[in-house]
Amino acid sequence: MTDTDLTKRLTDVFHRTFDDDRLTLSRTMVAADVEDWDSLTHINLIVEIEREFGIKFTTREIAGLTNVGELMDLISRKAGLIA
Amino acid sequence: MVTNLNYAELARAGKKPAGQDLPELRLALLSDAATQLFVPLLRELFRRHGIRLEVYEAPFAAVELEVFNPSSALYRFQPEMIVILNATQALRSTYFQQGDTGAALAAEVEERASGIWEAIRGNCSALVIQSSYVMPYERLFGNYDLKHADSLYDAVAEINRGLCRRAREHKNVLINDVEAVASWVGRRTWFDERFWDLAKSFCANEHLPAVAQNITRIALAARGRGIKCVILDLDNTLWGGVVGDDGVSGIQISAHGDGEAFHRFQFFLLALKRRGILLCVCSKNEHAAAIKPFEEHPEMVLHKEDITIFVANWENKAENIKRIREALDIGYDSIAFLDDNPFERNLVRSILPDVVVPELPEDPADYVKYLAELNLFETTAFSQEDSSRADLYRTEFERRASVAAFASFDEYLASLEMRICVARFEPSRLGRIAQLLQRSNQFNLTTHRYNQAECEKMMLDADCIPLYASLRDRFGDHGLISIIVARRVQAEGVLDITDWLMSCRVLTRGVEECLMNHMVAEAARLHLKAVCGHYIPTAKNAMVKEFFGRFGFEKFEETPQGCTHWRLSVADYRYPKHYIQAEMEEAALAAESGQ
Repeated sequence: MTDTDLTKRLTDVFHRTFDDDRLTLSRTMVAADVEDWDSLTHINLIVEIEREFGIKFTTREIAGLTNVGELMDLISRKAGLIA
Repeated sequence: MVTNLNYAELARAGKKPAGQDLPELRLALLSDAATQLFVPLLRELFRRHGIRLEVYEAPFAAVELEVFNPSSALYRFQPEMIVILNATQALRSTYFQQGDTGAALAAEVEERASGIWEAIRGNCSALVIQSSYVMPYERLFGNYDLKHADSLYDAVAEINRGLCRRAREHKNVLINDVEAVASWVGRRTWFDERFWDLAKSFCANEHLPAVAQNITRIALAARGRGIKCVILDLDNTLWGGVVGDDGVSGIQISAHGDGEAFHRFQFFLLALKRRGILLCVCSKNEHAAAIKPFEEHPEMVLHKEDITIFVANWENKAENIKRIREALDIGYDSIAFLDDNPFERNLVRSILPDVVVPELPEDPADYVKYLAELNLFETTAFSQEDSSRADLYRTEFERRASVAAFASFDEYLASLEMRICVARFEPSRLGRIAQLLQRSNQFNLTTHRYNQAECEKMMLDADCIPLYASLRDRFGDHGLISIIVARRVQAEGVLDITDWLMSCRVLTRGVEECLMNHMVAEAARLHLKAVCGHYIPTAKNAMVKEFFGRFGFEKFEETPQGCTHWRLSVADYRYPKHYIQAEMEEAALAAESGQ
């Protein structure tokens, strides 16, 4: 999986989850940047990402994320292990 | 339909504003779990039932604070219903933190719950919808857990029994059996402890809709919605086989072997009837043949008295259901229609969209399990009158009768995109053709039982026109549905139809009209002046006695045995309208190119 692949698929997940097609992801983006991104919609986001990439996060991983960049690295590490 | 609900779709749909013109339901959510994710789901599910949901979410884990304070935001909201949703995860931490015995915990939880219900009753008239607790997955003693009153596992089982026992004494309380929903899907996937730890989410996202669905059903039932009447097909729905063809002794309904699935299904229906659900029959059959198993078959579970309205005729089922509804004077949305035939299901769905028409599983062995999963028969009360309701209605119906015309049936037929393929007998089809010739009884004009060798002979005879027809529509392929054998008698200028049979499953949708048009056109193409037809009565084919008369044939002879002979002048034929596209040429071409 290339970085552009991942960005595209992750962007789709964000669009679906927050029902907003205008969202553009950046590595420094944080929850406060997105309307509706709170601890509960975060669950929706995580579940959608897990389904999209066929991976499963641990509680610690979910809790430890601080921005989109880290999320991308984590996905790429976990999905990479499976592929 | 629990299994069809997709969380993400439902959640998205629930964020859109519901129509302001819809009637409102004010519902409060109190929970020791997070309720936020439920709100869009509930909103969407109620919207689908024509209700605009106004929700009040109490602050997290503030059940007591809200209910014991008469001026709380909860009471200011003036809820019609209060949903109390308790999470096993919260109970688990109480159990471990307090270090109580399981029995003590159970007593405390019950006491607390009934205190809450009473406080609510003292402050408002809202209906309380109290959840049961989902059984925990851990079993400290293994199988011994249930023998040991102190285990969490046994405590939860005890709490659920206790809540139900106490709810019986509180008129304002209904039980939302979340444990039943969870055990259906299984505890293994039900809990997602990561999201409980991070955000106090009630269960795995994918199962949230099932909880919301359960709440919706209870609320709708409390509002008087729900199924009051089940309308049943007979052949291959209530028993195995076709009674008109196989006879009373030929149908499968015995308690063992191939009839057991139907036996079980009938017991389920009988239990529903005793619960106050009306059972009606709507079958494409001769009335006399259809009623016979109810009167004569020793192993039938359902009897004539169990059926409120019994309709067996050859008219379209939507029209029959319309008449049943009028007679019962109930809403379409309180009727469920059960039929194994997809054509009938789709017909009823498209003409009467409010009638609940579940898909039935292919295997009758799964009927009861499938219907149980749909949970169609939610109610909020049960009384003595309910169990005798069926009988009251039956007397009422016997006083009244009504006939209503159906304007949109033509539209429905047109929408089916039916296509018929008529072709001469061909070697690969002879087996199936001979089989239909042996089996078909009701729509069979002369009932000649040709075997495969005789069919082959006809196929090779140049003066014989042996045809089969197969039907397709947008819902699928019905396969071979009709056989017509005609003979060209050039000297007399006649096309003589010696055989005509059809599968009863495809009646009243224009197949007869389409095929008759085809036969008369064929006569004209061969420069024949007339078409002849014959009817030989049997014990089972009364329904086609006047078949040729319907198309303007004149009866020119009738024997003492009741055989009739008919004749039509090709020039006088008025081609009746139908909604089927014939594919004669294509099929012929296909047959040639295939050789």
